[in-house]
Formats: sequence, structure tokens, C-alpha cells
Amino acid sequence: MSDSTGANAPKPSSSVKLVLLGEAAVGKSSLVLRFVNNDFQENKEPTIGAAFLTQKCTLPSRTIKFEIWDTAGQERFASLAPMYYRNAQAALVVYDVTKPSSLTKAKHWVAELQRQASPGIVIALVGNKLDLTNEGGDVSASPEPESESAGPDGDEAAGEDGEEHDATPGDARKVSTREGTSYAEEEGLLFFETSAKTGTNVVDVFTAIANTIPESSLKTGRGAAGSGQTALGGRSGEDSRVNLGDRGAATAKEGCAC
Amino acid sequence: MDTLAGTEWDVIIAGTGLAQSLLALSLSRSGKKVLHLDQNTYYGGSEAAFSLDEAQDWVNTVNQHPGRTPFEEAKIFTREQSQETADPHPKLAASRAYTLSLSPQFLYTRSQLISVLISSKVYRQLEFMAVGSWWIHSQESSQTGSEELGATRCFHRVPGSREDVFADSHISMKSKRALMRFLRHISKPKDDEDSSEAEEDLSVPFGDYLTSKLDVPQDLQGPLLSLSLSQQTLQNTSAAYALPRIKRHLTSIGSLGPGFGSVISKYGGGSEILQVACRASAVGGGVYALGTGIQNLTDGGSEEQYPVELQLSNGESVRAKSAVGSQWDLPVAQTQSLSCAKIARSITVVAAEFASLFPVTTEGAPVPVSAILMFPGETLGNPQSPPVYLQVHSSDTGDCPRQQSIIYGNVSVPGLEGQTLLECAVDRLLQAEGPHAVVLWSVRYNHVGHFSNDGLPPTIQTHSPHVYSFPPPSLDLAFEDETVDMVKQAWLTVAGGETDPDDFMIFDDREGTSDE
Repeated sequence: MSDSTGANAPKPSSSVKLVLLGEAAVGKSSLVLRFVNNDFQENKEPTIGAAFLTQKCTLPSRTIKFEIWDTAGQERFASLAPMYYRNAQAALVVYDVTKPSSLTKAKHWVAELQRQASPGIVIALVGNKLDLTNEGGDVSASPEPESESAGPDGDEAAGEDGEEHDATPGDARKVSTREGTSYAEEEGLLFFETSAKTGTNVVDVFTAIANTIPESSLKTGRGAAGSGQTALGGRSGEDSRVNLGDRGAATAKEGCAC
Repeated sequence: MDTLAGTEWDVIIAGTGLAQSLLALSLSRSGKKVLHLDQNTYYGGSEAAFSLDEAQDWVNTVNQHPGRTPFEEAKIFTREQSQETADPHPKLAASRAYTLSLSPQFLYTRSQLISVLISSKVYRQLEFMAVGSWWIHSQESSQTGSEELGATRCFHRVPGSREDVFADSHISMKSKRALMRFLRHISKPKDDEDSSEAEEDLSVPFGDYLTSKLDVPQDLQGPLLSLSLSQQTLQNTSAAYALPRIKRHLTSIGSLGPGFGSVISKYGGGSEILQVACRASAVGGGVYALGTGIQNLTDGGSEEQYPVELQLSNGESVRAKSAVGSQWDLPVAQTQSLSCAKIARSITVVAAEFASLFPVTTEGAPVPVSAILMFPGETLGNPQSPPVYLQVHSSDTGDCPRQQSIIYGNVSVPGLEGQTLLECAVDRLLQAEGPHAVVLWSVRYNHVGHFSNDGLPPTIQTHSPHVYSFPPPSLDLAFEDETVDMVKQAWLTVAGGETDPDDFMIFDDREGTSDE
């Protein structure tokens, strides 16, 4: 029961605090809803109050538990965000590809994060509502151009040619892929275009963030096998954590097997 | 709606100190419409934590607006670029690499606040680290056999348990017997005492009590006083104050894990806890606006549904059923004659790790990140002076970068006299640690508030039928449970009859947030 034999030994698990920022109605909450519940609500009401959700993301080497903070609905007082991005390891800054002003707002958030948040914060810029553009919608055509890996020739349809689509009738896109990509490259951000409605690229965003967060800024959860990688000087910080959950376990049955 | 005025609020809470933030959380989760304001542009009020730049802004504000916050005479000192050493190593890191607490407090593991953090599930957003040893400064430094390196040359570890007493090589057999007698006496259950002992007079000074009742030698009285965290001399501390606090110290050890009895929250202690409470309150529907003070307040009496009308500094006017704040957040007359004390504090960023102050003393114990140092007045050349306390935080607290430490100092003497004592204590510590230990940055200030041993326990003040205020902030080194009692009292008052007192801060998991 307690002794797991080699093969299915638990992977190291870490929590990552992620804050969600962006103009109202760009689909922040919908992105999270898609990621956490694989669900989408058409005409979703604006989020009242703030929201907090968690979701795990399994990488080959470890499990990342995202703690997602959504300031939804309260950006207007500019009072929650500073508390939300305090000590956050990751930020998702969202704009709407059909609304240029939302990219401007996104740039403001990026600047504020770079000025105020933890120096090592991983920022992902996300252009949402890809389903309203011509290339959006079909879930299969996934690998959208990403800042680094964007080999300009490789894949067929999906593409680095957003500007051509701007002209196409029926395409609501107002912000080209190139505009997003080049800004993200300048600022050193991860970049994705997503559709919370169809699910395109949503999981990929979170996986990319999980892969980008430096090992050193991950706090290892309980029961982790952090052996061998002790920092020089031996005070790794992890051996000084105190687990209040132990005291809580008496009341809440958390059903942890190991 | 980009305005606060359109809504009618059940309660408006002014100030984002720990008490207000816990109240906001409890009320928002009781279904109340909560508007939580702060005149400052940062969270935490007098429990805030700052980066270096924010600390500079804070100092400017404190000096420009005296009386607006419970602080005064704030001043920053930066190291002069002297060239006494060619070694360019010790350097201040970027402003944001620091989280400096204005009133650092640690939590005993049996504190009610920890129970509240657990029952409200808020603890999951926090990381707690162990507070380790207590040390007392001794004048006869560097004795023979000083294999001990670094700062411990001038400090003795205060024994906190029977095992410690046995293991201690510094104290005589006679003293050990006296200490064991004391530990036995203090851990004796109440009902075990025979009637003659039950009637013992605890109003006497703690020093007299130890001498006359338990024959504890002088040199052990200071260490015992440090376990009580009293900020008064042995003569000015009553046995009634010291004994229950020493007992709290002793019984807390081991209750949350081996080898420690108190904890601090990573990244800024109380400031982190209160921000986590505010975040959870926002998730519960609370609305937050910083940089928004209250300029005028009227309480229209009980006929109206929303009797309290507030004029905000942004020009808006809002209405609520009630308002809660502190005397620094609400424009109310100071009706209370609650005694306010004033202490000197300093925060010092040091290029040193003080590794010897953070030993793991019990097998399986976590590496401590904080140590408590006490300097009795006589060791600083002033026997009349109350003790100086230094809380040393290692970089594992998240307060500062690696290879540096933060020293939080306080003494219950305000102004220049207090600051001189603090400076002297910090100097002693640095000298003991070695020549590489240099001060990189420091801030000094006075803090106005109350001590837990100052008469009656603090309570909520009622200014008018719907307006309440919390008392001045606590100046104690450890979080005092009275604060939780006050928050609960305020919660019951504001939430009214619909609440069951037993439900205080007990929340179920929200959908999608279980910790599975």
C-alpha cells in the first residue's frame, strides 16, 4: 500500500501559481473552463468576483498542478491584479484576435508584469477566439505557429499568413498572427492563438508554460523524490517546509494513497 | 459598472490589515456583499511587506503624512560605497528580491489562526516554514572550546525542552535541576495543583517569582523571559504574563512536526497570509479597491436599510449596512482611552547567512528559517532597558536573496534611545558572525500599537450603531489569538443573527478547487 514498487513510483509534483490577465470579454474564463473541464459555454455571463481553479498537467518528468487565479470582473479597480501576480510563476495574458484594442491592453499587462511581478515569471501571450477567423475551428489542425518553433515552411494549411486572411470576407480577424508573434518575440513571451470554443491549442498553452518554468522555481510538493539535486550548500529550501495539511488531514479526508 | 457607488453593500471594510482581511473573508463567504477598501495603494496596512522601492515610497509617505498610519520617524540607511574592502561581493540585489515586513510576527503551531487557515482551506495557498532556536546574548563571549563558529560565539541557545536541558553544556548541574523544576512546575496540569499552590500570587515580578518560588538562578531568568517574548524587563513582567506564554512555547513544540513550535509564512509572513485571505475573499465575491480612503462618514440610524454613508477619496459616495475599520482608516473620533504603546523597530538587510543560528536540533525536523535572539538590557550596557529582540530570517523565508539575511529588530523604547539599542544589538550580532557580515540596507521607525500585556484584551470599538473599529495593531513578536477572537466577534456583529458561531471560517471546497 505504502511501498510503491519502482515502476509506478509517483512523479515529482509541483504547484504553479498562474494568474490570468486581459481585457474584459476576451475569453479568459472560457480558456480556463476549457482547460479545467474541457467545456465551453456560449454567451457566458461575465465572471462576477474573482475565481480560483486548479488543474493538473502531466509532463514526462513531473506533474504540475496549476493554481489558476482569475481576476475576472475586477480589473477595473486595478486592485486585485497586483495581489494575484505577487509570487506568481506564470501569467497568461489574453487578447481577442478580432479586437485590436484588446492587444493594446494585453501589452499594458505585459509591461506591468515585467515591472512588478517576480523576475522569473513565465508569460504566455494568447490570442483567443481563433474560431472566429478562417483558419480557426477545426480542432485537428493544431500546431499553430509558436514563437520559437515556427518553422515557416513545415506545415500545410495552418499558418503564418494571417494578414492574407484579414482581407477574406467572413473572417473576423483584426490582429494578424504575425503581429502577435513579433511582439511576443520582442518581449520573450510564449505565444499561442487559441479557441476556447473548439479547444484549439488550449492544452498546448498550459503544457508549454509547464515546460518553460525553470526547475529552480518549482516548489516540490510532499512526497517528492527530490534527492540528488540538492542545491550547493545543502540548504535547498525544500527541507524547511512545514506541512499544515497534516494537521488538516484529521478533519478532511483527502484519500491520499501514499 | 465602473463605479463602486451603484451597489448597496452589506459591509464596507476599511484597511487591509490581517484582522480586516480575515473579516472580509469570513463575511464574503457568509454571503455578504463586501466592499474592501484601503487608503494605501498596497495591501496589509501596518502588516504590509515591501520591496526596497516600495519601502522607500512608504518612508516618504509616513513622513509626509504623520498620523495617517501607526508609524512615525521612518528613515532608510544605505551602505556608503566605501572601499575598505576590495571585495565587491556583498551587493544589494534588485528591489523586488526583497519582501520586508513592517511588523513581522510568527505563529505558534497551536495558534487559533492556524486552525482558521486550515478550516477555511486558505492554508493551501501558503507555505509555512519552521522557526527554530531561541538564543540569548551573553557578555562573556568566546569561551574556551569555541568550536562553534559564527554568531553563536556570543549567544547561548535557550533550552526549550527537557532534552535540551540535559544536552546543554553551558549550564551547571545546579541550574539544570532548577530548570527541570521549573519545567515540571509549568507543565503540571491545573487540577493537579493542591490548593496552596493554586493560590500563588502571580502579580509579582517574574524575576522575583523565579527566585523565591523555584530557586532559579539569575543567569537562567533571562533565557526564560525570552521564551515568554516579554518586551519588558524581568522586574516589569508579571509572572501572570510570563508563565502562560512560556507554557504556550513549550507545548507548541512538536505539535506540527518534530523540533519546532512556531512557523512563519514564506514571502512576507503576515502580509502573505492577509493577501491570501483577500484573494479568497474576492473569490467569494468581495470587491477590492486600493488607494481609496474614506473622507467622511455618517451613520443615519436604524430606520434606514443602508444607514452608513461614506464619502470616498475618489469623490464617490457609497452606502452600506455597516462599516468596519481601524482608527487610521475611518474618520471617527478616538473615543477609546485604549493605551497605545510605541516601540522602535528596524529592518536590516545583511550580507551574511548566520548558518550557525539555524541548527536542526531534533532528528527529522525541518531546517529552521528563522531564529529569535534576545539581548537583556544589561548586555547592552543598560540594565534598566527592556530586552531587545532580533528575529533573523534566512533567505529560505523568501524575504531576501541567497547569501543574505534579514534582521528584524524591536525594543519597547521608541525613538533615538530605542534605535541606539537596536543598532548596538545588530552590531554585536554582526561582529560575532565575522568581518564579512555587513549591513547593506536598513530602515528604522517607530510603531504605535498595543502589547498583549497591557491591561485588558483588545476588543471591537463601537462608534455609532453601525460603525465599528479594530484596536491598534499588536506589537507582539508572536501572533496573539485575541485577534482571531476579535474577528469572530466582528463577524457575528456584522453578519447578524443568521449565522451560527460554530461555522466561523469553516468553508467547503469550491467546485474545481479540491486538493485531490
